[in-house]
Amino acid sequence: MNAIDATDRHIQKDEGPPPSLLAIVLDTNPHAWAHLSSTLPLSTALANILIFINAHLASGNGNEVAVIASHSHKACFLYPPPTPPTPQARHGTPNGDIEMNGVADTKLNGIPDNPNKYRPFATVETAILNNFAKLLDSTKVEHLSATPTTLIGGALSLALSYIAKSTLLHSPVDPSTHEDPLRALADSESTHAQRVPLTSRILIVSVSGDLANQYIPVMNSIFAAQRKRIPIDILKLAGDTVLLQQASDATGGVYMKPERPEGLLQYLMMAFLPDATARRSFVMPSAGGVDFRAACFCHRKVVDIGYVCSVCLSIFCTPSLPNNLCLTCGSYLSLRSATTNPPALIPRKKKKRRRAGGTDSATPAGTPAGSGTPMHA
Amino acid sequence: MSASSSQALEYLVLLPVQTHRKLYEQPSTVLAIFRCMLPHLAKSIVMAILYMPTAFASADLDTWFRPSAKKEKQQALYVLEQLHIIVLKQDAARQTSYELYKGFALSLRQALEGSGTHRSFGVPASKPDPHKVNIAFLDEYAKRQWENILFYMVGTTVGLGSAVGQDVGEGTKRLLQAGDFVRMQHGRLGITRTGFTFVLQDTNAQVWSLLIEYLKHVSELGMSETDVLSFLFMLGSLELGQDYSTATLSPTQLQMLEDLTAFGVVYRSSKSSSTFYPTRLAVTLTSDSGALTTSSDNLSALCRPGVGQAPTNQGFIIIETNYRLYAYTNSLLQIAVLSLFTRLTTRFPNLVSGKLTKESITRAVRTGISSAQIISYLTSHAHPQMQKNTPFLPPTVMDQIRLWEYEGERVETTNGYLMREFSSEAEYRDLLGYAEALGVLVWRNDAKRMFFIDQIEQIQSYLKKKAQR
Repeated sequence: MNAIDATDRHIQKDEGPPPSLLAIVLDTNPHAWAHLSSTLPLSTALANILIFINAHLASGNGNEVAVIASHSHKACFLYPPPTPPTPQARHGTPNGDIEMNGVADTKLNGIPDNPNKYRPFATVETAILNNFAKLLDSTKVEHLSATPTTLIGGALSLALSYIAKSTLLHSPVDPSTHEDPLRALADSESTHAQRVPLTSRILIVSVSGDLANQYIPVMNSIFAAQRKRIPIDILKLAGDTVLLQQASDATGGVYMKPERPEGLLQYLMMAFLPDATARRSFVMPSAGGVDFRAACFCHRKVVDIGYVCSVCLSIFCTPSLPNNLCLTCGSYLSLRSATTNPPALIPRKKKKRRRAGGTDSATPAGTPAGSGTPMHA
Repeated sequence: MSASSSQALEYLVLLPVQTHRKLYEQPSTVLAIFRCMLPHLAKSIVMAILYMPTAFASADLDTWFRPSAKKEKQQALYVLEQLHIIVLKQDAARQTSYELYKGFALSLRQALEGSGTHRSFGVPASKPDPHKVNIAFLDEYAKRQWENILFYMVGTTVGLGSAVGQDVGEGTKRLLQAGDFVRMQHGRLGITRTGFTFVLQDTNAQVWSLLIEYLKHVSELGMSETDVLSFLFMLGSLELGQDYSTATLSPTQLQMLEDLTAFGVVYRSSKSSSTFYPTRLAVTLTSDSGALTTSSDNLSALCRPGVGQAPTNQGFIIIETNYRLYAYTNSLLQIAVLSLFTRLTTRFPNLVSGKLTKESITRAVRTGISSAQIISYLTSHAHPQMQKNTPFLPPTVMDQIRLWEYEGERVETTNGYLMREFSSEAEYRDLLGYAEALGVLVWRNDAKRMFFIDQIEQIQSYLKKKAQR
């Protein structure tokens, strides 16, 4: 069978946009959605997002989607469904198509036969809804009371790792490594030139504010995305965080904070559907004035003026650290002495004088002794 | 948009408005057209307008696009207007705005939401089939049927005996002749230029070419074109390996099912069976991935699974700089295709060898095969060893094949329209700029104020709009 459905051929591959992978990070924080329930209940939002996913799958034949829920106590995949560890179960499902191996077949029975619905759409929808229901069922009261916020950092890392994996597995592998995809994975750098790239992007549908306590993991994910040229789009339905604005700005993504969350679908369709290829032709909305303030590492507060460790560049809101040791790298920092002492202005004065003195005295005798200059004063 | 679906698009735009309107009643058709026919930007425009409560003012559309993307915007809108998907409206204040055609918008929404009771995505059979077939069987079946057709076209041309083509139905044979893929010459069947183009395409494009030919002749058979098209688009959205019920099909579509069985596009266990299985040829009609590859790719690998050699499904042809050609294959179809433009000399159990000569290439060119076709065939089937070079083929060989062809061609013709006698320079510049933006401009002469275009419909409507103002 593997020989029959050989999918890719070199002929006519250059036309058309490359397939696009959309990883949606859905913030399912129950606290925040409870606030929003009067204008945009979670069920409506999810229905809109499902239509948006269908539109994305329809926009390109090779398009793929991954949906990750960032919940209050864990981040997990909604689609593709987490499968038992068979090596190839998750890879290469263009257009949401399910693969014809054992794992997929058992799952297939769960999908109702609906002649009014395009089959790949039905597959994705059923999986997302089932996994979402499972996630909500597993949420306990103690989970909710433990934290008012959501694990956006973990969800972002999941999205990035999934993208990295599908970029490698999706692209055509050169014939010499055909039988052994793992080998292709290993020396991905050398075979890189022959591959058709998969364009990926991340969309974060965020409702929670106050994400500063995850400043470090989120910032690291942003830098990883920036390096891999993965734009992070932000749809901010409620709350405001400095962090996500910076994410979209640093990676060249779209940032939107709709005034009326009811029109969610239209915002999604217009601003977030165009993929990287189409974005070259459109004027995309972005955050106007980006707040670049950072959060401190000690209390996770957004700070206007902070103190930076000279060794590891960690940011602190206060100069009084325990034992004067940096919390991140443990270097000894004499922050106290630096802040208590008045700025040393004398050396600057000295320098000025010295230059003036240097030009005055043309004699070589004046130059060797640096100590000679104060005598002029 | 791939080459295969662009053929279907070309056919589709030529249909009248009424047919378009009728087609857009089926959500599966609308979804298929959206997925494979529309240019990438057109999809973005359609999706932006789809759930918009009001019409999309054209001024807003202009600001949405970057100034540098003006040409792409024009092209996207042009396709949408040709397919009658988008409607340009003018209100009392002379503000123009775009709207989707109501039927199209409704169907596309239904397709995305999975709502409605149109049952256009195929009704799976309710009872389990006692003779259920698996996917491998379907692939095998589709491949056999399709290769028979190809072999019928190529085999007779190169004189591999008159025995070939016995498995091809009479209807299919007639269709191939009607489409001018093969022609009777001196009492012998010969392949034509279109036929050779057909053979060299990938399977998906071949299926579309044949089906479009089929569509052109359905009205003679008393079948409705719309019915046939909707059915084809529905086939494209079905699931491989699932059996579907024929109960909801119209009489036209039932009749079609028989013809499609002959092509290998669908499988039925018997003619009276109440179910049918789409094969890989069918389900890939509206997508390009996972297409069935016929022996032009990997039959050789399939035929000798026992031989301890790496599967050569990436290619089998080696060409040396001295024009010698070695093809690791034992498939008659591949040998037949090669012999159209190669002087084959020796054949071994797994290898044929020959040489590209001036005589063999010019003979191929005379039958209507272009050098570009030959080069693309050789490139796409180059042996993995050859693929290590860039370009795959030796440049000397590629150049020489082209030069041999050019010896016979000195003049190139383009059909189109000459625009001249402009009243003012400004008018000339204006229209010229528009034609250039559309990409229809072929030639211009500023001194004589003339230019030549290969498509006139949009220029016409532009001039009309201008005259109204």
